[in-house]
Amino acid sequence: MSATPLLSAQRLSKHYGRVVALDDVSFDIHDGVTGILGENGAGKSTAIKIFLGLLKQTSGTATVLGHDASVSDGVRSRLGYMPEHDCLPGAMNAAEFLTHMAEVSGLPKDVARTRAADTLRHTGLFEERYRAIGGYSTGMKQRVKLAQAIVHDPAFVFLDEPTAGLDPMGREEMLDLIRKTHREFGISVLLSSHLMSDVERTCDRIIVMRGGQLVHAGEVGQFTTEMETVFIEVDTNQRELVAALGRRGIAAVAEGSGFTIEGPDESVYDQVRDAVVEAEAPLRRLAPHRHALAELFARDGESKGGKS
Amino acid sequence: MSTDGHAARGGTVFDIGYQGYNGERRGRHYARDAVYQNGIRSALGLGRSTRAKALPWFFIIALSAIGLIMALIAGGVNRYIGAGTAQALNLPSHSDLYGIASIIMFAFGAVVAPELLCPDRRDGTINLYLVRPITGGDYILARWASFLTVMLVAAWMPQVILFLGLCLSDADPMKYVQTNWRDIPRFLLAGLVISAYVTTLAMLVASFTTRRAYAAVFLIGLFVISTPFTVGLASEMKNVTGQWISMFSLSNIPVHVNDLIFDDVSKITEDSPARRLAPWIRVAWCAGWTAVPGAILWQRYRRMTP
Repeated sequence: MSATPLLSAQRLSKHYGRVVALDDVSFDIHDGVTGILGENGAGKSTAIKIFLGLLKQTSGTATVLGHDASVSDGVRSRLGYMPEHDCLPGAMNAAEFLTHMAEVSGLPKDVARTRAADTLRHTGLFEERYRAIGGYSTGMKQRVKLAQAIVHDPAFVFLDEPTAGLDPMGREEMLDLIRKTHREFGISVLLSSHLMSDVERTCDRIIVMRGGQLVHAGEVGQFTTEMETVFIEVDTNQRELVAALGRRGIAAVAEGSGFTIEGPDESVYDQVRDAVVEAEAPLRRLAPHRHALAELFARDGESKGGKS
Repeated sequence: MSTDGHAARGGTVFDIGYQGYNGERRGRHYARDAVYQNGIRSALGLGRSTRAKALPWFFIIALSAIGLIMALIAGGVNRYIGAGTAQALNLPSHSDLYGIASIIMFAFGAVVAPELLCPDRRDGTINLYLVRPITGGDYILARWASFLTVMLVAAWMPQVILFLGLCLSDADPMKYVQTNWRDIPRFLLAGLVISAYVTTLAMLVASFTTRRAYAAVFLIGLFVISTPFTVGLASEMKNVTGQWISMFSLSNIPVHVNDLIFDDVSKITEDSPARRLAPWIRVAWCAGWTAVPGAILWQRYRRMTP
């Protein structure tokens, strides 16, 4: 990880009248793939737009590649952006469109043409490059969206919900491409998503936002461990089992036909085994389980009073 | 053939993988130029389907055909009846061309100009421009300049054809050029005035909708309806009010300036009460109808964000 962050937000706030989109948020983003996770309205897109210099923050500072984001017209030639929503001209073919986008990013015409072809090859669209984009499938369109974001070889690329609307296979291919974007192309990525599984499978670090506030920032591994629980269901003696776990310092939370316990490491299973024996409870189900994202936000909201 | 010899001729394909780019990155001016060139291609349907080419080229050919027909008639009359007969018969010439062709020019602007703005907003492509090293102001300026260029070519083409036709049909082409060379800067300037006016109005209307058809229908309606409506009203009032009402005939506004440039009266403005208003008023009116919509258009895009 480089010492100087590629992106940095310090006490960043953005208000739209009385609506607070970002509230005193601070974080740094370094080289690698970083996920920004949050439900709709969490402030993810607002943060991205501030970094792209498209919105001016109400207070605080946002720097991108060492420059003030609010005066970053020039820096934008080193940034890429893949929007969530449709953005492709149906009448143009992919090769012409990418060449044009590379030129608008400042690449000379001949270089733009070569890089458009190369980028389409790397994103698996080389054979289809002269077909009008309007005739592409959803998966192909998502690839073109990614291709236009990296055609000018940016230092950093923002991907806004890149797997939206994709079937499971298309989603897997897109996540592979995102991993490749950093590992093979050397382009750092900020992946905005509301799907924990996308972030977990793709990112090194994670930023979790809720209601315009920062809930969590750190390594993905640490975060996913914190999220893990164990679901237990027994035929009888559930109350005795809960008590036995309690004596071992393990709290249980009722959930459906059974209950869950926090399970950050493997040793909890040994303790469950001992408690089941002690309570003489016939075990029906014992399974690792994850907090749903909404549940996690609610939990963090309660424990941190909604602020980090 | 030995195995070794065969191997020596064999080739190997290497996948050199992803290549980064460390070369020159040109700035905002270059990006604006790229948008400008793309706008010209879009307006003319270049690199698009045959359907996309049909409309712009139909209008360009139609405008050129007007110049050609006028040249053939005037040239034929001069050649076969006698030099100067066309002028003596007061046949339509350079000063009349924009008046005659104005409705086609407005239709061209109404139908083709929205192609440069509406699809970008409908498809969301505008978002991809705004995250690159240009601003919304750069984008709209480049698009406006693109269509102005196409419009200028369409406007000047029939005048050039007419001039060449008249010149070549004259018994002494060199003498014709020496006598009538002033027509060239006049039609260039008049073409610029009418092109800037049509481009700006058409683009402003297009900036309010994502549907090209809506913009085209609205603009054509505006140009077509404003003339009989204002003529009808103006004929009821013979005074200054009538003159000002006739100034709202949108298709006549740039033609009044054309008349001043050629120091002549076009066929379509000869009965217009607005012709009696002071020249500076007619020039300022046309400038205002170009500058104000231009300012609104620029303002609409200046602060646009995805």
